[in-house]
Amino acid sequence: MSNDILVIAEHLDGKVADISYEMTGKARELAAALGGKVTVALLGQGMAGQAGGFASDATLVIDDPALANFNPEAYGRVIAALIAARAPRLTMLGSTSSGMDLTAWLAVRSSLPCVASVNQLAAEGDELRISSQIYGGKVAAQVSPEGGRAVVAVMAGAFPAAAGRGAGPVEQSASPVSLDGLRVTFSKLIRPEAGDIDITTYDKLVSVGRGIGGQENIELAQELAGALGAALSGSRPIIDAGWLPKTRQVGKSGLSVKPKLYLMLGISGAPEHLEGMKDAELILAVNSDPKAPIFDVAHYGSTCDLFEVTEALLEALG
Amino acid sequence: MKIVVAIKQVPSLADEVELNAEGTNLDFDAVDFVLNEWDEQAIEQAVLVKEAGSGAVTVIGVDATGELDGVLHTALAKGADAVAKVAGEFEPGLTSHAQARLLSSAIIDMAPDLVLTGVQAPDDLDGQLGPMLAALMDLPYVGVVNSVQVSGRTATVHKEYAGGLMAEFSVQLPAVIGIQAASQPPRYAPVSKVRQLAKTATIEEIETAEDELESGLSVRSMTRPVSVGHADMIAGDAKAVAGRIIAILNERGLI
Amino acid sequence: MLTLAEEIAFILLVVVLGGLTAVGFRGIATLVRSGRAAPPREDVPRRLMSALIDVGLQRPIFKARPVLSTFHAFIFFGFSFYFLVNVADLFEGFIPGFALAYGAGGAAGPFLGGVANLFNLVADILSVLTLVGMIAFLVRRFGMKDKRLSFNDGVLLHPGVQAGGVRRDSAIVGTFIMLHVGSRFLGQTLRLAETGKADPFMPFASLTSLAFGGLSASALSLGIHVTWWTAIGLIVCFLPYFVFSKHIHLMVAPLNLGLIKPGPRGLLDPAVPKGAPDDMAPGAAQLQDLGWPRLLDAYACIMCNRCQEVCPAHGSGRPLSPAALEVNKRYLFNHHFTSLAKGEQADIPLLAMAISPEAVWSCTTCYACVRVCPVGNEPMADIVDIRRRMIYDTAEIDSGIQGALEGIGKNGNWFGKVARTRARWAKDAGVPIKDATKEPVEYLWFVGDTASFDQRVVPLTQKVARVLSHAGVDFGILNNEERNAGNDVRRVGEEGLFEMLVEQNMKAFGKAQFKQIITTDPHSLNTLRNEYPQFGAEYPVHHYTAVLLELLEAGKLQVTEKLGRYLATYHDPCYLGRYNQGYEPPRRLLELAGMRFAEMPRNRENSYCCGAGGGQIWLGSAPAGERPAESRIREALETLSPITGDAEQLLFVVSCPKDVVMYTDAVKTSGNEGKIVVRDIIEVLEEALGLTEPAGLPDTAQVPV
Repeated sequence: MSNDILVIAEHLDGKVADISYEMTGKARELAAALGGKVTVALLGQGMAGQAGGFASDATLVIDDPALANFNPEAYGRVIAALIAARAPRLTMLGSTSSGMDLTAWLAVRSSLPCVASVNQLAAEGDELRISSQIYGGKVAAQVSPEGGRAVVAVMAGAFPAAAGRGAGPVEQSASPVSLDGLRVTFSKLIRPEAGDIDITTYDKLVSVGRGIGGQENIELAQELAGALGAALSGSRPIIDAGWLPKTRQVGKSGLSVKPKLYLMLGISGAPEHLEGMKDAELILAVNSDPKAPIFDVAHYGSTCDLFEVTEALLEALG
Repeated sequence: MKIVVAIKQVPSLADEVELNAEGTNLDFDAVDFVLNEWDEQAIEQAVLVKEAGSGAVTVIGVDATGELDGVLHTALAKGADAVAKVAGEFEPGLTSHAQARLLSSAIIDMAPDLVLTGVQAPDDLDGQLGPMLAALMDLPYVGVVNSVQVSGRTATVHKEYAGGLMAEFSVQLPAVIGIQAASQPPRYAPVSKVRQLAKTATIEEIETAEDELESGLSVRSMTRPVSVGHADMIAGDAKAVAGRIIAILNERGLI
Repeated sequence: MLTLAEEIAFILLVVVLGGLTAVGFRGIATLVRSGRAAPPREDVPRRLMSALIDVGLQRPIFKARPVLSTFHAFIFFGFSFYFLVNVADLFEGFIPGFALAYGAGGAAGPFLGGVANLFNLVADILSVLTLVGMIAFLVRRFGMKDKRLSFNDGVLLHPGVQAGGVRRDSAIVGTFIMLHVGSRFLGQTLRLAETGKADPFMPFASLTSLAFGGLSASALSLGIHVTWWTAIGLIVCFLPYFVFSKHIHLMVAPLNLGLIKPGPRGLLDPAVPKGAPDDMAPGAAQLQDLGWPRLLDAYACIMCNRCQEVCPAHGSGRPLSPAALEVNKRYLFNHHFTSLAKGEQADIPLLAMAISPEAVWSCTTCYACVRVCPVGNEPMADIVDIRRRMIYDTAEIDSGIQGALEGIGKNGNWFGKVARTRARWAKDAGVPIKDATKEPVEYLWFVGDTASFDQRVVPLTQKVARVLSHAGVDFGILNNEERNAGNDVRRVGEEGLFEMLVEQNMKAFGKAQFKQIITTDPHSLNTLRNEYPQFGAEYPVHHYTAVLLELLEAGKLQVTEKLGRYLATYHDPCYLGRYNQGYEPPRRLLELAGMRFAEMPRNRENSYCCGAGGGQIWLGSAPAGERPAESRIREALETLSPITGDAEQLLFVVSCPKDVVMYTDAVKTSGNEGKIVVRDIIEVLEEALGLTEPAGLPDTAQVPV
């Protein structure tokens, strides 16, 4: 076991994602405490140009056509080999669409403990203290890996990205393992269909969640959005139920928005949703549960019935 | 084609959650258990795949609550062809590692062509079930998937990324797929059918020799998250709240 | 009278055609019995007898359409008497020398002569009345083209019906009656002409006989023979057709009325017959999945479309016609008669052939069709059974209904609220409300979903609490243990969820101590009163209007202010009125409150559904057209506007939480805001009782919808 930290950088559509820097920054802090080094692994093809921007002790660029686009099997093989070869104290991945495919898989493959949805990381003495948000953000679990090593999935936005930017040295390497005979093949990227409005361009959003109750109530929220000159967006359950199109989804598997006003009706604030809207300038939340996590993020809140408030707002707005 | 759906029950988050006296997990006596909602999507996707082609769907879980039968009967009512549970004395709060080991050793004997499971669950402290199953059974895994189409020995899946972007993969079967959302909203499970099945259906009980159930994590504590800030709560009835909201918006020139 | 050849011909005809007819009837019996079992009919002879008396007095048909019913009564009495007439005619034909008294002579002795004269008088008058009635019917159908006999666009109709089968059948039956009765009457006319005398006991035939005075004896004799055949012979020829004609209603209707389901209106038959195997699918997909009484219904149906006329779904232009359902069933029976008569199972999917899914989901289960049916049919029961199977097979479930059912399954209510918030309204009711699961109470108040969660109704729920409390009533609620009572869940067809809710509520009842149940919700009242006893929960169940009236009459509440400034009408909720006959207490309360009152044309038994029942309130999208509630508001305004006088305010008074929501909405959508105000009876009463309102509670009428 080393005290080194391995950060698996992430890129989507040719661009390194912020989560990579967020993890690197945190990794630096931990490595300093533990007396180890930070290695960032950037898997891909033609990504070397962006490899020099990490505050790492080393940035390992693994270039292979099979890694050009994310492929859970190919990436898994390469990272498993890196973990086996380097035995890092901590392996960090993003708790993102791609990171979630790999973290638990790598942990089992490498016989290491795994921690999901990590939002705090610290080294106390020689011990790693990891905090994970579970039960929809309603509980924070503080855990330590037995044996000291772990593979963790870090929530986007948990740490500042700036601390991870720098100019660490870049090493180029071929894939340490064969990438032949893959059973998973990347075919293509599918871009969101145009045709609906682009909610990321709106100054004001009215966003609805499960609390809206039924499809028939969407109209009322739409009415309020109309009266405010806002667009209507929603959380994942509303989109999964087919009540709003996918283009209106805010959150981890939807869009990230930064409007001037984010008015939330019946959204409890699961971490996946917060990820997509926490940077809004003004967040107003109406939710009947006073303990809903959203009230930790919102600027103003009310536990009144959302329909009553909506109706009262409509009346006040004429 | 044999499709297996691995599911688990999780504490309902509709109600407030209570922590146990030691502060190491939830007070499982005080929570209602429900089917993990992503697993519900996985069941729907499995039935859709079956309906689009042919085959049979088996839904399997570990009964850690003593209440899994109802969930399995519901799965049958939604179109699953068979249901099974891993037999044994289990307590609520089984880790993902434990679930994955128990389920993988049961599923591997079924020689499935396709294993579906929810991409995540609210109690996934030590990782998600799907990738663990894949690793334990040495099958390929793709997660965060919202559409599965099977043709011959290949599944074409759509994986969701942020910002509405998706990637299409083809996956050689057998494989494990983590479902984010089924291509259609889950169908209704008629209670009439569920109750009837409760009388007539058989749940296969599978014994496993698996005893390595540790996650390798020691939980020091579980707490309610310390909030960095808290919203300024507006008091009063709906009218008062609306009035205050309008005032705030006016102040900021938003209306 | 008949020649030997004629006699032989007639007997042959009877043997052949009568035999054929008997086979037909046997087939019908086999076919009806191939339906699923129904709850046992009790006391059948007495019920059949009372059905016969009702039919004899034409009671069932006079429930609606008085003019047409009068013509029907003519034909009915004529036809009934013609049974005797036909026997007498047979005797005349076959017994040489047997003749009824013609020209007041010929019969033996004064007594027999008197009987014959009376017989002739009645026959003469009824013949004419029958012909008048029949002509009226034919003119209405073929001349005036009464549009009540046509169907809405989109109503599923059997190809035979589309091809004008009902019109053709009506024409054949009409022609048969005209020919049969007309021939007999003509025959009597000719007999009188033969005698050359008028008969004071046959006034009409005497009159017409004048026209035939000039005919020769042989011509008259030939005429008498011919008319005998076209009267009596025709019946025999018509008999085999009878099996396939709607005219069979004259035999099946009394039988159907006698075999009507036992028990209260508000009790649905179980989804699978008692004692059926565990794996039997509930409800009906195939025609023969329906209970046998539903199959018999199709033979009783005379296709008068009265059910359609009172149907709120039909009234708002939706593709539902209870009549079309029965007519289709009948045509399907005729089409598949050969195999069905052998007792075989035929492949007749109801949703493809008898009624469309959209029609099935349009029914409000208001019971108006069943109530109005003159032959005791229950098309609503078919619809509920079809829904049951659709839900079971998860076929074509509306997303709104699915959402409501899921919510009820998960949280016990359809408002998408977690169960623990159910009693939140009680916190700011202004009076303490007991938890019946913690302390004993006299009355358990079963609150219901709408009254607990709908923000437009909650203030009214709180008013009820305050008035009850003011009157010193000892009541409590089940708090968060209450679940949706399941009335509408059952009527949407989710029998399993209904049973689950009954179990959950009964478990809560078990934790509580109380003697009687009170509710403001007629839907809850119906199932608690009529269906829960089947599961072992037997409690007296009262609507709040009945309890309030009792309190007023006992002096525990006193009217301090007469509300003469209001002019009100009252809407009977289906599940309080038509289902449970709670007509009088609300009206008495309004009277005691001292307001001016006028009935809408459709009141009490004839009340018109608001359109919310049977799960309609859950439907994802509102269909186009004037909704039932809007039609009702129009009816109220048409009733009240002309007599407004110096009334300060017109009130539309309701006594059902769903009505509050539906009508408050309908006043707005129909553009009648400011003209009429919807008030729950509790608001009216609170005002009359002079109970001042705590400040800050909104008035329902002002809460925006």
